[in-house]
Amino acid sequence: MISGSNLERVLKSGQFAVTGELGPPKSGDPEVVREKARILKGHVDAVNITDCQTAIVRMSSLTAGLIALSEGVEPVMQMTCRDRNRIGMQADILGASALGIKNLLCLTGDHQKFGNHPQAKGVFDMDSIQLLQMVKGMRDGRRFQCGEEIKSHEPRLFLGCAANPFADPFEFRAKRLAKKVEAGADFVQTQIIYNVEKFAKFMEMVRDLGIHEKCYILAGVTPPKSLGMARYMKNFVPGLDVTDDVIKRLKDANDQREEGINIVVDIINQVKEIPGVAGVHVMAIEWEQAVPEIVKRAGLAPRPEYEGVEPVLVTSGAIESAVAQAREEAAQELKRQIDEAKAEAEASRGLIAKEKERTASEISQLRKQVEEAKSMVSQKEAEIQRLTKELEKAKQEIMSAPQGQAPAAGGASQTAVVVEEPLTSREERVLSSLNLGLQALRKVLGLSDEAFEALRRFLEAEFILHLGGVPAGAKVAAPAPAVEEKAAAIEPASEPEEAPAPPSEEKGRNKEVVNLVAKGNVLLHKQDFSGALEVFEQALSIDPDDEQAKEGAEKARAGMAEPAAEAAPAPAEGLLPPCPEELTQEEWARKWVIRYVAKGNVALQKGDPSAAREFFEKAFQLDPNDAKAKAGLDRCEGAPAAAPAPEAAPAEEPAPAPEKAEPESGPEAAAPKPEEPKAEAPEKKEEPKPKAKPAPKPAAAPAPSPGELSIGSLAKDETKLQERAAGISEELYVEKATGAIREVVLGDGEKAITIGGSTALPFYWFEGEMGNPPRIAFDVLDTEPEDVPDSLAKYYSDVMGDPVKWAQKCVSEYGAEAICLSMVSTDPNGMNRAASEAAQTAKAVADAIDVPLILWGCGNADKDTETLREVTSLITDKKVCIAPLTDANYRNLGATAMAFQLPVVASTPIDVNLAKQLNILLENLGLTLDHILMDPSIGAVGYGLEYTYSVMERIRLAALTQQDDKLMVPFICNIGREVWKAKETKLPSDAMLGDQERRGVLIEAITASSLLMAGGELLIMRHPKAVELTKALIESLT
Amino acid sequence: MIIAERKPMPEILGMLQGARKVLILGCRGCVAICSAGGDKEVGVISAALRLGFKKAGQEVEIHEETFVRQCDPEYLEPLKDKGKEYDAVLSTACGVGVNFIADRCPGVKVFPALDTSFYGANLSSGEWKEMCAGCGACVLHLTGGLCPVARCAKSLSNGPCGGSVGGRCEIDPDVQCVWHMIYEKLQEQDRVAQMEEIMPVRDWRSAGHGGPRRRVREDLLP
Repeated sequence: MISGSNLERVLKSGQFAVTGELGPPKSGDPEVVREKARILKGHVDAVNITDCQTAIVRMSSLTAGLIALSEGVEPVMQMTCRDRNRIGMQADILGASALGIKNLLCLTGDHQKFGNHPQAKGVFDMDSIQLLQMVKGMRDGRRFQCGEEIKSHEPRLFLGCAANPFADPFEFRAKRLAKKVEAGADFVQTQIIYNVEKFAKFMEMVRDLGIHEKCYILAGVTPPKSLGMARYMKNFVPGLDVTDDVIKRLKDANDQREEGINIVVDIINQVKEIPGVAGVHVMAIEWEQAVPEIVKRAGLAPRPEYEGVEPVLVTSGAIESAVAQAREEAAQELKRQIDEAKAEAEASRGLIAKEKERTASEISQLRKQVEEAKSMVSQKEAEIQRLTKELEKAKQEIMSAPQGQAPAAGGASQTAVVVEEPLTSREERVLSSLNLGLQALRKVLGLSDEAFEALRRFLEAEFILHLGGVPAGAKVAAPAPAVEEKAAAIEPASEPEEAPAPPSEEKGRNKEVVNLVAKGNVLLHKQDFSGALEVFEQALSIDPDDEQAKEGAEKARAGMAEPAAEAAPAPAEGLLPPCPEELTQEEWARKWVIRYVAKGNVALQKGDPSAAREFFEKAFQLDPNDAKAKAGLDRCEGAPAAAPAPEAAPAEEPAPAPEKAEPESGPEAAAPKPEEPKAEAPEKKEEPKPKAKPAPKPAAAPAPSPGELSIGSLAKDETKLQERAAGISEELYVEKATGAIREVVLGDGEKAITIGGSTALPFYWFEGEMGNPPRIAFDVLDTEPEDVPDSLAKYYSDVMGDPVKWAQKCVSEYGAEAICLSMVSTDPNGMNRAASEAAQTAKAVADAIDVPLILWGCGNADKDTETLREVTSLITDKKVCIAPLTDANYRNLGATAMAFQLPVVASTPIDVNLAKQLNILLENLGLTLDHILMDPSIGAVGYGLEYTYSVMERIRLAALTQQDDKLMVPFICNIGREVWKAKETKLPSDAMLGDQERRGVLIEAITASSLLMAGGELLIMRHPKAVELTKALIESLT
Repeated sequence: MIIAERKPMPEILGMLQGARKVLILGCRGCVAICSAGGDKEVGVISAALRLGFKKAGQEVEIHEETFVRQCDPEYLEPLKDKGKEYDAVLSTACGVGVNFIADRCPGVKVFPALDTSFYGANLSSGEWKEMCAGCGACVLHLTGGLCPVARCAKSLSNGPCGGSVGGRCEIDPDVQCVWHMIYEKLQEQDRVAQMEEIMPVRDWRSAGHGGPRRRVREDLLP
């Protein structure tokens, strides 16, 4: 035996060893260590105590190791070369040995750059191999590193080291391990293994060198706690090889933690079979609770009985002399305790008697209370009866009034709510829904007739009350809370397909089952058959006899079979022009799905839902799984001129047309739609109206609503280019783009906006599509700005300084489609507001508005990293867009964005290559390009607009005509900031420069319109009138 | 050569506050070659200082001069008297020059215009990289001529750490892993076996941890 540690004993006995890991706290709290030790105790043979891992200051490994030892857990003390020189290290080694630590893991240590003190001087007096050599020399040679003799009590330590089979150069890794073993390592723990195949190759090399015979090899494993953690390890921990399979398993898992444990157990089972592996090292980082489960499931429990684990707080020599003394003391102590116990026993006898009395009185009191409760119940019943009678009376009063109206429509039978009042059509509809719902509810609840009748009466009363047709006296019945609750429960039942949520008093059926069935029905209604089937099956698994669930499941199955049959021939030729050679059929279809969705979005934007529906349906037919198409369809339904539900549309295809043209005159065609009978509409719409040329721009668009402001809409008279260029061959002027700008979604929910999607230069309708129309976000500053000209300030004077109100005003008063919160107050050269404070403000703004939010930092890379990270940790429920990511902070912020799946703004100085470079860097990081908006850094009129324009145009041309994939990303232009800092916006009105406000508005609007022409897709602006003017321009051109 | 970098102008202006007559003293040695303190940079610094002082409303007389080197006593001779006429001598030499002036020219108030950075080479115009740490105990014969002391973030002696991936250092993907380079170099020369030998723990005294270093060559002493 080298040190006689438990770990050494287990390994030497040939048993498969299990070690764990314990990270000391970032505080002086010993309880944290104790608690973690207790969790691990008995499940592992020894526990690594990390030494300020990732260079973050924590309780020292020696101290935490001793605390663990006092809990009866054997520590493996880690020691790095980063923080101490050979003097400090040897001193700690002696101390550790003196206090009973028997295992030492020698590491070089993570570089201080990664920790919380990157400014620190890294010591690195020696490396891990030299450290091993030094400790082995102290132990076996009984000499300090300098050569001086250790006269007695040399440190007896079982020495470990680390090995990373996944670092490079791969062939050298086994040789490096050999060096460590030669230097003195008795055991080795490897880096976390996910790529078992590569580890097996490493082990092969290890066996070839015979290393496994000279030291014990423990395979390192870590249960991934979440998909986010796995992704982080994959992308940001150098030398950690997380396989795509692991990522996929976590992604597909319902319970990521559970799957994490499954993954690690699978890996343990695989590495166990590799020859030369003597154990596993389970690193459940901040998830110690998982260890017992992992050990158990991997078949490694129970662990061999602990031996030799005892805290040594005195030297072994002193123990012997202490034993005799201790024995005497113990005898005395025992005597004292016995005496004490006797006295206590006497005292407790009396206590017990008292306790008995108290309990008896308590029981009698409880009995009384029960009696009281019973009488209260009967009182309540009487009250209910009285109320019912009153209602009855009230109803009769109404009936007796001289109004002989027919009962409401909607199958009003004996069990229907009947109201003898002239009803408006809306009320009628409400009532019929209510009746249907009631019927359904009755069925579901299995209510007795009396109960149902009572419920119905209550509702009736409620309904009449709301109509205001009953004397005030009858109101007494209405506020009964139980009734209101029921009414609320019935509300969702207004759609007949849906089952109502069961109230709590439901008896016959399991509540869960009812809930699930209801959910299933909703899904069925939405035609999500697979989802519905899943839910029904879940319900059946709880109650296999539930009829409704069975029925639902069958429906879902039938539903699934149907579309499957339909789907096969769906991507019909009619929707697709012939596929070009360089593309596969799927790619081509995909392109067209995107095109159709884009067209649909444009139509929808123009307020022409029927045309939009047509496009979305086409997209949907090409790809029934396309979420955007679905979302578009849903939005069509929500639109005021809603056409029939999608499922009503016949599956037949329109006549083949190379590119489906929109109806000749969108608004005219759409206008009469709502009046038309539902069944007719689809046929009519499906009538192909082929045009000779693919010129999808409609002749006219709905006129923008003329506000009370002086800015009106622009003239829409337009002569088509084809007409103007009549006689000239189209080939001479049409240059079709081969690329397409990606779509980026900002925000979530109904107010989400999609940016990009164009397949041609901006507004070049004769060449392609514009995808989604350009959008404008209002700029809101997070602090009261200085030096704002009156012409702008007057619009926000009431809200400046309060970003929440400011943002709300932009949305409610000026109809902002998005808000950009400029966090200027965080600038270290300005107010230098703390990141956490700024984050609170951002959170408040995010909570106050429902439109998409862009959070724009101050431009200082480090501060923005800090601020935006704070913000994203606070705002977790909203998909905010974070900006600006620069080459100085893209790694940190990119990682944050990936973790929360947020869109970002990639900001570069104005240059084609820099913009591309940053996109590439972000993509390499793992952020997909459909989460990126490019901020090319723009200049206002008179401040470099021309340069901005030409660079943006070059970027766009590279994307569209040169297939520069990395540049197929939408533009965001921060216009307001640039315009309103120009002095021309601030100079007072005078004869030469004219009116200040008009001047400012025009500078902003002209900058905006110029950048629109250059490809700007999302503009950030400040002046409401400038926004209005720009919007009018966009509307007239789209 | 010694690589240096000009201090930020606000810092220089700060140290010269109150001075009425300033000499900007360049050096045509290393700092001229690494474009930090030669004739050209002296001109740039003096122009910037004039502007800075003017902006601060301070009248200052600025003179410019550049020595062949500031690290040899004979070149400093003229400064011994002339330097006293100035409220401040701003040296654009490396730290050696500034120290040497302070040592050799009593009564002259010398200030540094540069931050002396490292011993490095000129990769391409405008880019320099550290190549040597001046540790006083070269191991380059064992490492294929590539220095692990200067070029490894942890100054490792026994091969690449676990953070070496794809030939890149874990601290920054723009930094090459010098041990990976050494491995490839030795492989090329069929000397990989050298890396399997354990390099013993270093003696850092020669690297300055034994106190200020000095070199004497008896035969050359006057």
